[in-house]
This record gives sequence, C-alpha cells and structure tokens, in this order.
Amino acid sequence: MAKVAEKLAEKKMLVINELKYVYRNDNSYLPKKQKTLSDMKMCFNLQVKEGEILSIIGASGSGKTTLLNLIAGFLKPISGEILVNKQDISQLAIAKRPVTTVFQEHNLFPHLDVFTNIAIGIKPSLKLDKNEVKKISQALNDVGLSELEKRLPAQLSGGQRQRVALARTLVRKQKILLLDEPLAALGPAMREEIIELIKSLLKKNKMAALFVSHQPDDALIASERVAFIHDGKVLEIGEGQKILNNPKHSLIQEYLGG
Amino acid sequence: MKIKIAYIVIFLLMLFILVPLASLFFANDLLSNQSFDTNNLFAFWEDDYFRQVIFFSLWQASLSTFLSIGIAVVVARAFAHYGHFPLRSLILGLFGLPLVVPAVVAVLGIVSVYGSQGWIPLGSKLYGINGILLAHLFFNIPLAVRLLLPVWNNIPQQYWRIGAQFGMTNWQQWRHIEWPALRETLPGVSVLIFMLCMTSFAVVLTLGGGPKSTTLEVAIYQSLRFDFNPAQAVLLAIIQLILSILITIIAAWFSRLPDVEANLHIHSQVVAQGNKLLSLLFILIAIIFVVSPLVAMLIDAAKGPVYQVLNDSKLWQAAAFSLLIGLSAASISIILGWILLSASAEKAYLGNKRMAQVFELSGSVVYVVPPLVVGTGLFILLSKWVNIFEWAILIVILINGIMGLPFVIRTLGAAMRQNTARYQRLCESLDISGWQRFKQIDFPLLRKPLGLSFALVTAMAMGDLGVIALFGTPETATLPLLLYQRLSAYQMPQAAVIAVFLLASCLLTFWLLERGISGKSSRKVGGEKNAGY
Repeated sequence: MAKVAEKLAEKKMLVINELKYVYRNDNSYLPKKQKTLSDMKMCFNLQVKEGEILSIIGASGSGKTTLLNLIAGFLKPISGEILVNKQDISQLAIAKRPVTTVFQEHNLFPHLDVFTNIAIGIKPSLKLDKNEVKKISQALNDVGLSELEKRLPAQLSGGQRQRVALARTLVRKQKILLLDEPLAALGPAMREEIIELIKSLLKKNKMAALFVSHQPDDALIASERVAFIHDGKVLEIGEGQKILNNPKHSLIQEYLGG
Repeated sequence: MKIKIAYIVIFLLMLFILVPLASLFFANDLLSNQSFDTNNLFAFWEDDYFRQVIFFSLWQASLSTFLSIGIAVVVARAFAHYGHFPLRSLILGLFGLPLVVPAVVAVLGIVSVYGSQGWIPLGSKLYGINGILLAHLFFNIPLAVRLLLPVWNNIPQQYWRIGAQFGMTNWQQWRHIEWPALRETLPGVSVLIFMLCMTSFAVVLTLGGGPKSTTLEVAIYQSLRFDFNPAQAVLLAIIQLILSILITIIAAWFSRLPDVEANLHIHSQVVAQGNKLLSLLFILIAIIFVVSPLVAMLIDAAKGPVYQVLNDSKLWQAAAFSLLIGLSAASISIILGWILLSASAEKAYLGNKRMAQVFELSGSVVYVVPPLVVGTGLFILLSKWVNIFEWAILIVILINGIMGLPFVIRTLGAAMRQNTARYQRLCESLDISGWQRFKQIDFPLLRKPLGLSFALVTAMAMGDLGVIALFGTPETATLPLLLYQRLSAYQMPQAAVIAVFLLASCLLTFWLLERGISGKSSRKVGGEKNAGY
C-alpha cells in the first residue's frame, strides 16, 4: 500500500478533490405517501497517475457513472476540483476537457464506416489532412482492425466495435480515458483481450484511465488499484487484491456476495 | 375459437369493403359513360376536368406535405433541444388537439383568423390553394411534430455526449446525429401526411372555392350530390382508390407508418448545441399558428347568437346523432380490433408470426380505401334497392366504425402483443381464461390504450364530414353537417357557435371516455406501465 502511495506521489495525472454533486431521485412516478427516496449527496476524492488504470466498482446506483459524467462535463458539480496535470478542468466546456469516453454501447455512429467513425473524433467536419489520415491508419493497425476500415458498425462484432472506439481514443490524444463499463456486452475471452489492449495503449500513449466495471474479476485484471464506491463516496481505495480478496468492509463483503 | 371468430371478422370486413368496390367497377351506368371506354382505360385522361382534378389533388397534397414536414422538423428539433421549456407537456398535449378537432371546425377557425373579417385578412385569396394549405398545416404540423419528436428521444444519449466531447457544431450535430436518425422516419411520416391530404375532404370542400381547386374526394361528392352523375363519381372513386393503393405501396416500401400516439413523455436530456432563443422563437410561432384559429373562433362564437343557436332543437338533434355515430362506430372498431388483435397476439405467441401479421394487417388494410370511395360504392350499390338517405345514420356508423379500425390496431396492437407474450403462460398455468381473463388480467392492463383508442375513434367519427355529407339530409344532419350547412349559407355567427359546440362536444367526449375507460388504476397494476404507445 505504501509503495503504491509513493508511486502515486511521483506523477499524479488526475486528481479529484472534494467533487460534490447532488443526485436528485425522481419520485414523480410514486404515490404521494411513498415519496421516501431521498436525494443522494455525492462527494468524490481520488487520484490516478500517468499510465495507470483505476478500476471503479460498486453496486448499481452507487455513483460510478455519475463520477465519470462529472469528469467528462456531462454533469455539473456543485463544487470541487478536477485536476488534470495540476490544471482544474471542472469549469471547462465539454469539448475543451482533455477527456475521452468509451461507453458500454453506442460508441459508433451507425451510418458511418469504421474509418469515418474514427475520423470524426479528430475533426467532426471530416476534412482531414494527410497526416491525420495516416494517424487513423496507424490507430487501426494498433487495435488490429486495419482490414476493416470500410465496414459499418453493424458488420462488426461487439469486441471489434469496442476496438474501433479505442482506436478513436488513440487519435484524439487526450490525457484521460473514461471507460464506462466498456466490457459489459462482451464474452469472457473477449473481455480479457480488450483489457490487455487498453493496458498496452494506455502505457504507450501516457494516459490515465478510470475503468467502471460491474465485474470484480475484470477490475483485478485491468488494474492494480481499485476504488469501491458506495452512496456517492469512495468507501475504500487501494490494492485491488487486498480489497477484493480480503474485504474488510461489510458493504464490500455484501457486494461481493460474501 | 378465438381464431375462428377472427376469420369471420376478416370475411365480413372484406365483404364490406370489396362489395362496394366491386359495385363501382361493375356499375351499369359506367359502361354507357362517354368518359369510360373499356377498350381504352385511360380515355378519361383526355378529359380536362379529370386531368385538372387529379393534378390538383396531387399538387395540394405534395405542397401540404412538403411544408408540413419542413416546418415540423424545425419545431420538433426546437422542442428536443429546449428540453426544459416551460409548460412543455401542456403544449405538446395541445399539439395532440388536431387529432380530435373536426376538420370543419378547424376550417372555421382558419376563416376566423385569415378570412376577410379576420385578424390577418387574406380576403378572397384565402379560398383556393392558400386556404387549403393553411388548414392542412394546422392539422399536420402538430401531428408531424408529435410523430417526429420520438426520433430525438430515441437517439442514444451516448451520441450526444460523444458529439459534445468531439466539439461538434450545431450543423455537425444535425448532420451526424440527428439527420441519420430522422431520415429513417421521414418517408413514413411524409407518406402518412400525403395520404391524409389526398383524402382531405372537409377542408377542400369548404376552402377550395371553386372547380379549379377541387380534389378527387370533393369531385366525387359533387358528382353524386350536385351533378347527379354517378358514372363520373365512380370513375373518380376508382382513380382515388388506385392512387391510394399506390401511395400505400410506396409507404410500405419506404418504411412502416408510425404509431398513433396521444401522450408523449419526453425525456429530453440531450447535450445539444443550439440557440435557446431561436428554439423558443420557433416553438412560439408554432404555438401561435396552432392556437390562433381556435382562439379566434371562440371569440367569434362568444360574439355570436349563442342563446338562439343553443335553443334550436336541430342542434340538439344533430348532437344526439353525432354522439350516437361516435359511440357506435367506436364500439364497432374496438370489438373488431380486439378480436383481430387477440388472434394476432395468440398466433405471435405460438410463433406463427406470418399469421399474426395477416390478422393485424387485415385490420389496417381498410386504411388503403378512402371512406368516401366505400361510401360511393355503397351509394351506387344500395340506391337501386332502398332509399339510401333513410339508412344514412347506419351507413355512416358502419363506415366510420370500420375506418376507425386502423387507429385501434395501431394504438392497442403493441400493448396487446406484449401483454400476451408476458402473461399468456401464467394465465394458462393458473387456468384463467375467457371472461375472467378479460376482467381480471387483460382489461386492467390494457385499459389505457383501450380507453385512448375508444375515445379517439369516437371523437373522429363525431367530427366526420365525409360520409355524412354524401348520405345526410337535413333530417339526419350531424353537428359537422349542420355546421357545413351554416357555412355554405354564409351564416358565419351561427356557424362559429356551432363549431365551438362541436369542438367542445368532441373534446368533452374524448376526455370523459379516455378518463373513464383508462381510469387511474392502470398505472398501479403490477407497477408496470402499459407499453406500446
């Protein structure tokens, strides 16, 4: 644990400080007497270093995706800091943030072929120069899809689609990669393959990633460190093996089915 | 048993549609008509009148569709981008009004705003293509907005987020996110609106203003009721039928027609790039356009001879006929629709999708045949044996009942299929069937779409001025016919009062029926919403 903290101190790429948000529960569909669901007050603190993947686990509704949405700018926090290389990005517009997101599905526009789906990540006008075209070919090569650039998303497997989304993150060259359950729709073998690909791409491109997953096994394969989120707060953060194989907190035990 | 009854229903439906159609083709008068040469089926094309009527029918429908869709896309986009617009649900509810507002009432509203005494006087220019376009836009912009808005709702949230992350401009968002989703739905909506404009009767009859602006439907009516030329009516009806079939084939080729929706629950959380002020402006213009005819008509009615009109026994007799027609037609639609959909859902549940489609399609197929064409067929067929004007109410009920069937199928179909897929096995295992199943399971779960379709067909039949114009007499006048008679006699103050009375009757009946049948408990059952619309 001490070793990990030492390493972190070396080069923190992403630092989340007291990032607060209130998740409003929609009670409108409930009868008046049953409107008991209260709003959830969230507050996040965590750090990720360059080249690292931090896995985020927790039960449904605990706030995992909300955290990613706050970092990406899809949601506005009440207060707090999101530091990327010591620069606060919390007030920046979505497009100005050094962030790329890969979702569980719908990462690719269905009417655009593989090449154009990547190109749109560089320039939405699709007016590319030679250098950019070359970059896309290189990215496709890196994810092992250079033969499939003319295919439409519907002609790809689930794993191939996620590879295209990863290739796009490469050409966008942003510092922070947010992975919102990108493996949920894939089989076990494919999951492991994509995790390995993410790890190698991250190291090569000097990025930091937050990896939200429902599967503790995936979290262990993907990262050394794991953060367990409960009720909008980081309940425990540290070495994945320790947290998941030897859970101390009853809520984590409960989550793991112990 | 369920399936056998469904087959009988299909047989009766076909009989009711095909026999009048056959009577058109085999009408004796037809063969002796100069316009109809059995050796040259296209001889009618040499007749200027026919050419003019066909051209104008297609022209006004094309122009109405083009303008309605173009404006509706802009307005729907404004609604989608401006997610938290004040009174949004109320306004979208208001946009559902034209589904229930009788065409002849809308016409009076249009005259109140754009007529020579109106707020924006167009004078004599109102009558003809201008008036027809204005009325068609009044009906079709809200309809198209409601049909197109779900397209934006169905765009995955991820696309908006990716677009925002990539820094897409407003135009790029339209090009890469919205247009690809919209272009799949546009042909279906366009064809639906084209069809509605092609078969628009009351609007063209009242705002057409002369032979130059006559469509096929109005020409059929004029041939039968004024020119006493059944042969010409038959020819026009055949042409109208062929055009309708062609349009339906094109529609089926492009895509499925959208479902009828009465409620729109918007969950707009789009991260759209757009100018809020511009969106607000588009929304406000659309609201003013839709609301102003109704408000102007209300003001005119308030100034009119309210007491005198309400004291007239003819009004109450017409109201009674309208209600009778509305409720009877809706009952026929619901009973037939329920039988066909039950059989369809059962076949789908057993894995026989083809037969399931056949049952469902057989209910929708009447959509292809314009009511006035069936009416003309019945007119020709029955006039040889009976005094058709004495049978007016019954014929109007039957035609409206059958013409309401596609709306029942579209409103109730999806919910019923889902219900059967979910609970058929459970019902079988618990041995719940027949009346007990309807009472305990199907009705509580389906009462919402059931109430909606019953209310919708009732209101539509109450406000119909197509078939009743053909068969109605002063003794059997319904409210729309009474209103038309006052309009034709230029008794505008009386017409305004009758129009408001008719509108209020339709809305009140719709509201009472929808609320009464749908009830409040439909949401509580199993905690599940009834899907499908």
